[in-house]
Amino acid sequence: MPPEFTVESHHFEALGTSCSLFAAGQSRARLVEGEFWVRRVGARLTRFAVDSELSRLNACAGHWMEISDELRPVLKFALTAYEASGGLVNAAVLPSMLAIGYTRPLADGPAIAALDGIGALPPLPDVLEVSHDKARVASGSGVDLGGVAKGWMADRLHEFLGPNSVANLGGDLMAIGPGPRGEGWPVGVAGTTLMLRDQGAATSSVRRRRWGGVHHLIDPRTGLPARTGLEEVSVVAASGFDAEVIAKTALLLGPEIAPIYCAAHAMAWSLGGAHDS
Amino acid sequence: MRLFLIKAVATALTIGATAASAVFVTTHLKNPAAPLQPAVLNAGGGSTNTTLDGTLTVGPSVQASNAAPMTSTYAS
Repeated sequence: MPPEFTVESHHFEALGTSCSLFAAGQSRARLVEGEFWVRRVGARLTRFAVDSELSRLNACAGHWMEISDELRPVLKFALTAYEASGGLVNAAVLPSMLAIGYTRPLADGPAIAALDGIGALPPLPDVLEVSHDKARVASGSGVDLGGVAKGWMADRLHEFLGPNSVANLGGDLMAIGPGPRGEGWPVGVAGTTLMLRDQGAATSSVRRRRWGGVHHLIDPRTGLPARTGLEEVSVVAASGFDAEVIAKTALLLGPEIAPIYCAAHAMAWSLGGAHDS
Repeated sequence: MRLFLIKAVATALTIGATAASAVFVTTHLKNPAAPLQPAVLNAGGGSTNTTLDGTLTVGPSVQASNAAPMTSTYAS
């Protein structure tokens, strides 16, 4: 019988959501270090602070800007997500986000939507270039990393939490190692407990973050809030990043293709809700 | 002569297997109509039979449990 480890947990608010860290056989100090890292990287990646590194990159669109070792990999993963999703997970979504009134954290209330002139998003590789230490956003464009950053960060938190841990950042999570009893980490997915081991999970939904007839999940084919016939998708995949990308892609594919797509890409999945379209 | 024949047959079999594998893999990468692997088909219960009522479909690489969840994925 494998040894049973004591699990330390730590909960905090960051990235505009609730975060939970769990680690077996580690001190609480390691989890607090993880929180500090989340806050530090989150401060770089947010578009809601004018002096964040991402905001400065968007502000100098059309010009190359030196970027940090913490922003560069997220930008590269955004390009990876674009390729892996066939263009459906497109970080070049900032103009659409601003047009629907998502100009500040929703806790502060949305602005008035102005959808005139919004169209299909440009391909991300045409908008975002990333070199070894610099990046450039095309003129008139903008990047929002909200669709990929939490999963990516959850995947990296085990560097602080140790090899037997779980990082859950607003529902995008990664479970590393055998869990406290060697059977995996018990994680709730669509109302069922799954024992995850070196696996990630994520949920994409249009049921939250919606206001005045719009919501935050943009369909890059129209540039408008998605109306695909699905409201919520939860998946388990090989990593938090993969799960986040697969869940978003499935939701945007809609109810006819999503089941086949999930069967091919996800380890477990749940497709919820007929949309009001 | 016999040794040479054995070597030649072994070489031919190796080259043939390599070529066949390459063709198989390449075809499955590029042909979206290629059949899914049996494990995927089984996991999906025939794939298109997945319901849209939020029911969870669990593949063979994930184990369900009756234990209480320590944390959950959710929409945020």
